[in-house]
Amino acid sequence: MRPLRSDHLTAWSRTFAVQGSWNYTTMVGTGIAYAMLPLLRRIYAGDPVRLREAVERAMGPFNGHPYLCAMAVAALGRLELDEVDPQTIEKFRTALRGPLGTVGDRAVWGQWRPICVLIATLSFLLGASPGWSVVVFLALYNVGHLAVRVWAYATGWQAGLEVGRLLKGAWIERWAEKIWPLNILLTGAVALVLADVVVEQSAVSPAPAALLGMGLVGGLLAFRFPRQGGRLATVLLVIAPLLWVLGGVVG
Amino acid sequence: MSWSELYLGPGTWILAVLGGGLLGMDAVSWPQVMVSRPLVSATVGGWLLGNPVAGMLVGGVLELYALRHPPFGAAKYPDTGPAGLVAGASFAASGGAAMGAFLLSVAIGWGLGWIGTVTVQIRRRLNERIMSPARELAADPVLLEQRHRVAIWLDGLRGAILVAAFLVPSVLVVTLVVGTGPSTLGRYAVAALVLGLAGSAGAAGRSSAFGVRGWPLLLVGAGLGLLLVLGGLT
Repeated sequence: MRPLRSDHLTAWSRTFAVQGSWNYTTMVGTGIAYAMLPLLRRIYAGDPVRLREAVERAMGPFNGHPYLCAMAVAALGRLELDEVDPQTIEKFRTALRGPLGTVGDRAVWGQWRPICVLIATLSFLLGASPGWSVVVFLALYNVGHLAVRVWAYATGWQAGLEVGRLLKGAWIERWAEKIWPLNILLTGAVALVLADVVVEQSAVSPAPAALLGMGLVGGLLAFRFPRQGGRLATVLLVIAPLLWVLGGVVG
Repeated sequence: MSWSELYLGPGTWILAVLGGGLLGMDAVSWPQVMVSRPLVSATVGGWLLGNPVAGMLVGGVLELYALRHPPFGAAKYPDTGPAGLVAGASFAASGGAAMGAFLLSVAIGWGLGWIGTVTVQIRRRLNERIMSPARELAADPVLLEQRHRVAIWLDGLRGAILVAAFLVPSVLVVTLVVGTGPSTLGRYAVAALVLGLAGSAGAAGRSSAFGVRGWPLLLVGAGLGLLLVLGGLT
């Protein structure tokens, strides 16, 4: 039986919890099964044996970006409706894992989220109230978030087996390749303004010009050697309060 | 600030613990609307203790540090929801002005974020038990749904426990530091944080760049930031 609109709505809303039972054996697989259940119950209504087999297939190991898992949920549901043989479904699942992870990670985690966070942080540093900055971040980010989830689910259901081909060069991937300069620009701007606010707040003045020069060199070195630069940044973060307290003790 | 001025009554503590549960769930389990980002969670923590501006300042620094840990693939990243709340609340409780308290709050938030990561891994191992045996769950979809929801609630419980365990000690420790005045070494402490921010920004920029060709943009961004500062817009 073909799933109803309400089944699709329930399945889509369940994709928000697709990582709820993430584990090292099936990864997001059990979450995929959880989200697909409204579809599978309708497709295999009155046939508990085939329902059980379909749920077991759905629970297999799977991974991907959580927002784009909506695409996998819908596409796998479509394959079940079209009575595609289980071996093809398994191959399809395996083939889909890589692209869903890579595309989503690069576009959402790599670009969209940092950009929204940085815009909100900058608005706060430029004088907006904390409440307003939080609203800006959540509203901006979730417009994109919901758009991706809706697009992913609709594309998955319509395309079925063809979804992998559609994902290659999709708008989300092209968009990620275009927007990254804004991300880096904002990172540089926010870091400098935030550093200025920190220095302004402290009662000590650590030679702003020298600090600016060292900060620029440090930032560029960390850009070239991100792992080492990141580790050093963490060490400095831990050292800072220790130095402060030590200074207070020894005078 | 005296101890009597510190406002952390049972009501605030309960609200913070409930908030920690929600923030703990949001990052991975449900609904991933990103209230778990430190910019939001630290502001919530600050707001709970009466100073959202202080919370957001801590959140901004934690955010710049967290940005260089995108959750790509199997990468480990700090669990900044409950940690941000504790850090923001701690600095707000200290009055939101003392630099020593600020530095310590940020460091506590970062450390607690990584403790949170360990608890996430423990929960994932626990999920393996909850979601098995697969055959039994496949035969009873209602049981599958129930177990999945239990796993989500456990994530919330994890976040709540983190806040419950660390909020009061963190607030007390940070408040103790408030009395520590500026010193010669304090200058180096501020410099260390600023250089740490620069290093974090560089590493974060690299993680979002396609290749290494983006470094001039980081400089241009810093230049824009400098213009904003010199223009008195901050």
